[in-house]
Amino acid sequence: MVQGTLDMLILQTLVLGPAHGQTIAHAIERGSDDVLQVEHGSLYPALHRLQNRGWIAAFWGTSENNRKAKYYRLTPAGKKQLAAQTSRWEQVVRAIGRILNPAAEKQS
Amino acid sequence: MNWRRFLHRRAADADQLEELEFYLDITAEEYIQRGMDPATARDAARRKLGNPTLIREEIYRMNTLTFLEGALRDIRHAVRMIGAKRGFSAAVLLSLALGIGANVAIFTVVNAVLIRPLPYPEPESLIGVYNSAVLQGEAIDSMPLSLDMYVAFKAGAQTFQGFGVWTPDAATVTGLGEPEQIPTAIMTAEVLPTLGVRPYLGRYFSNQDDSPDGPATAILSYGYWQRKFGGDAQAIGRTVLLDFVPRQVVGVMPRNFRFLDISPDVLLPLRLPKGPITGGDGNLSGIARLKAGVTLAQANQDIARVLKIWSDTYGVRQIAEQLRIKPALRPLKKDVVGDVGAVLGILMGALALVMLLVCANVANLVQVRAQGRQHEFAIRAALGAGWGRIARELLVESLTLGALGGGLGLALAYVGLRLLVTQGPATLPRLAEISIDSTSLLFALACSLGSSVLFGLVAALKCGRPGGVQSPRGSSRSTEQIRTQNMLVVTQVALALVLLVAAGLMVRSFLALRAVRPGFTHPEQIQTARIWIPQTQIPEPERVAQMQVDIVNRLAAIPGVSAVAFGSGLPMELGYRNGIVVGVEGKTPVDQIPPNRAMRQISPGLFAAQGTRLVAGRDFTWTDMFTKRRVAIVSENMAREYWGEPRNALGKRIRAGNQGPWNEIVGVAENVYEDGIQQQPPPLVYFRAGVQAPDEPGEAASVRRGVTLAIRSHRAGTQSFIREISAAIHAVNPNLPVARVGTLNDDYKLSMARTSFTLVLLGIAGLMALTLAIVGVYGVLAYAVAQRSREIGIRIALGAEPGTIKSLFVRQGLLMACAGGAIGLLSAATLSRWISSLLFGVTPLDPVTYGVSGAAILAAALTASYIPARRAASVDPMETLRSE
Repeated sequence: MVQGTLDMLILQTLVLGPAHGQTIAHAIERGSDDVLQVEHGSLYPALHRLQNRGWIAAFWGTSENNRKAKYYRLTPAGKKQLAAQTSRWEQVVRAIGRILNPAAEKQS
Repeated sequence: MNWRRFLHRRAADADQLEELEFYLDITAEEYIQRGMDPATARDAARRKLGNPTLIREEIYRMNTLTFLEGALRDIRHAVRMIGAKRGFSAAVLLSLALGIGANVAIFTVVNAVLIRPLPYPEPESLIGVYNSAVLQGEAIDSMPLSLDMYVAFKAGAQTFQGFGVWTPDAATVTGLGEPEQIPTAIMTAEVLPTLGVRPYLGRYFSNQDDSPDGPATAILSYGYWQRKFGGDAQAIGRTVLLDFVPRQVVGVMPRNFRFLDISPDVLLPLRLPKGPITGGDGNLSGIARLKAGVTLAQANQDIARVLKIWSDTYGVRQIAEQLRIKPALRPLKKDVVGDVGAVLGILMGALALVMLLVCANVANLVQVRAQGRQHEFAIRAALGAGWGRIARELLVESLTLGALGGGLGLALAYVGLRLLVTQGPATLPRLAEISIDSTSLLFALACSLGSSVLFGLVAALKCGRPGGVQSPRGSSRSTEQIRTQNMLVVTQVALALVLLVAAGLMVRSFLALRAVRPGFTHPEQIQTARIWIPQTQIPEPERVAQMQVDIVNRLAAIPGVSAVAFGSGLPMELGYRNGIVVGVEGKTPVDQIPPNRAMRQISPGLFAAQGTRLVAGRDFTWTDMFTKRRVAIVSENMAREYWGEPRNALGKRIRAGNQGPWNEIVGVAENVYEDGIQQQPPPLVYFRAGVQAPDEPGEAASVRRGVTLAIRSHRAGTQSFIREISAAIHAVNPNLPVARVGTLNDDYKLSMARTSFTLVLLGIAGLMALTLAIVGVYGVLAYAVAQRSREIGIRIALGAEPGTIKSLFVRQGLLMACAGGAIGLLSAATLSRWISSLLFGVTPLDPVTYGVSGAAILAAALTASYIPARRAASVDPMETLRSE
């Protein structure tokens, strides 16, 4: 997976509301129709990194099966970051699309 | 870098563990719901997650400050190593503590006494203003200013930001408890603003205070204000009686205020005389602050110009040219420090030597130690440790040692300084101000860091450099390493010898000073006290003279007193020495100014009380005094100067100045070392005390009102004796203050203070150096014995005598001591001329000192090498061979 993409996906997942690590991993897999396979282990350092940057915040809550679990939620700074990253991502995608398929781009 | 995360990284890791546990549990549950059996589900969940330890490590690293983490680990390791090798660590710490302790102590003293003498803002722009002149072929470089010069400088100087003059004085205080004589300083209004010290309370002197009809005012010192007014802020505006003149208190100086090197209790304004200021009279010291960017040379030029204006204004151009009066400005610091700059340099040099010794010593020990760890280093290198890593660890270890040693040394210095302040000589200037301050702390830090980096580098370069790590087998020393060690020891011995020689020369100087007959005997038995009978109290000279005689008689009646007399000043009593020009009948031409001579007015019996011998003739008598006879006594060197033989001086006549009546010389006294033992005794003229008949008919008779009493008694200096003296004086006149109570020994010791101070400090440095050299020799030999125990074992097994083995090592120790001694003697011979200005009665190449110091070093080396040698001789061959 492209470096930085995972960060964006995590942030995107958390837009829907707080979630714990396992939920986030599944959401990313399902949301991408299992195209993006997350190695779940690599998720946790990423979560830690995002937390250090202040984009997400963690709190201890109770899981669906009544267990103590660490939940993550998006901070306002995270929201801003997501918006910026998303628009930048879209630019990149569009640019790549123009190079790969210039005619299709003109038609649209 | 995030300190909070760094400090909480353990708790964070525990959280992480819990979070990963939760993941495994919930994922396994999911798999079970999908129909897996529990064990397989758990395994599958683990596979999905990956290696949890790796994850945790990755996150842990994110929370870590790598450099700090490494440093902390190294320090922990270093502390463990220091604890593990007790003997080694004790030797290193002892060396460091002694070295740094002595250095910090000496530095603190030197800093307080010599480096930091001016407690004023921007002290470097403060200068002392004096003139130089040539009087009878003798150059004087600090001729005080006269009042008219002050006026001229103040009006004309363009390079001064502020300029004022002052003079020390003393005054009698009455009406505040017991009458008391206190030191004062009389100054013009500009002096305090020029120094830049604001009063704690009240105000500076103003120009009104300086004017002839201004109000009589005074500024108190903080200490005097506390003592006499209990720190009452209402003291401002109150009146004090100084010399029976009421003066209004207008200010109080701050607590830490010190006026140059004197501590006056009261500051008084210098009130200018009425009318135009004329006359070259005056004994004023000038203080000025240079304008920004002005150099001393520029200021001297400026004042030279002003002096020309001055000599024209007052019509003294011819005299000024004859006396060659020139400005002699100098940094104000010099006024306070005086000529102890030489001592400063020498002590700092000694400091540097001791510190070098400590470094050499510790470097040696650390190197020896690191060699013992060759094996360990080799294994670590084989396991992949880089040389940088090993070198860093060695450096951290020495830094830790340095920090510990520095801390111990600081504690040692603190204790030593406490002792010095409570027990130390009162002669040491500003003794009370000596304490460890931030400068000393910085110095200690620099010492310990500098030395540990130095000796740490030696060890690191020796053992940690690439390729320097050898194979673990065959751990014998290379000749190069042995040579380095031996050289360090030789250096130590040489340095120690240099310091010993310096200390020895000071001891010899001190002994020579003590051996000089100063012109008086048993100064510790001569009680001194100064009295001053003010004009306002008793105007008539006759009554003053009678009162002085009454006091002498009262004092003579005190039990245990063997002699009492008084003089205008006693030998070596600073500040009470008068000089006058003395004309000699038939010897000094009438049309020339005769030479200036030291002069005293003394009562009959002072020579007996002082123990000063009469070389010829007789002492003054009370009859001389009551009949106002014109008689004089001269010192032996003055008699020889004019008449060859002391006896020939009797009956000759001298007088003060070039006019007036002659005085007949009735006696010749032995020379008195008035200016301290180091200085040649000055030619001295004694006139009798009591009422002096007027020189010209119509003038008033005069009397010396301030005199110092000399009371010889074996009880001198005891509190009860001082109380009885004071009671006897107050029985004659209850209003008389008694000042400067002490013994002549105080002044005698003060005259040798510089020598004894240098002696003590150099002595400390010398002893330290000797101890360090012993430790050094011992350490190296003990290590050699340990390293060569296998060889020694084989030798003994092959039949070597214990005596041979012993002499093998003692010889090695002596060889090093001899080599070091030879270098040390040569260096001492070259360096000792730096202290020749401090020496007295001994040449810088004094053979006795060199011989004794050399012998001391050899004896120390012998002792230091004998102990390891004996251990070598007692090696059990079986034991050694078996252990190999």
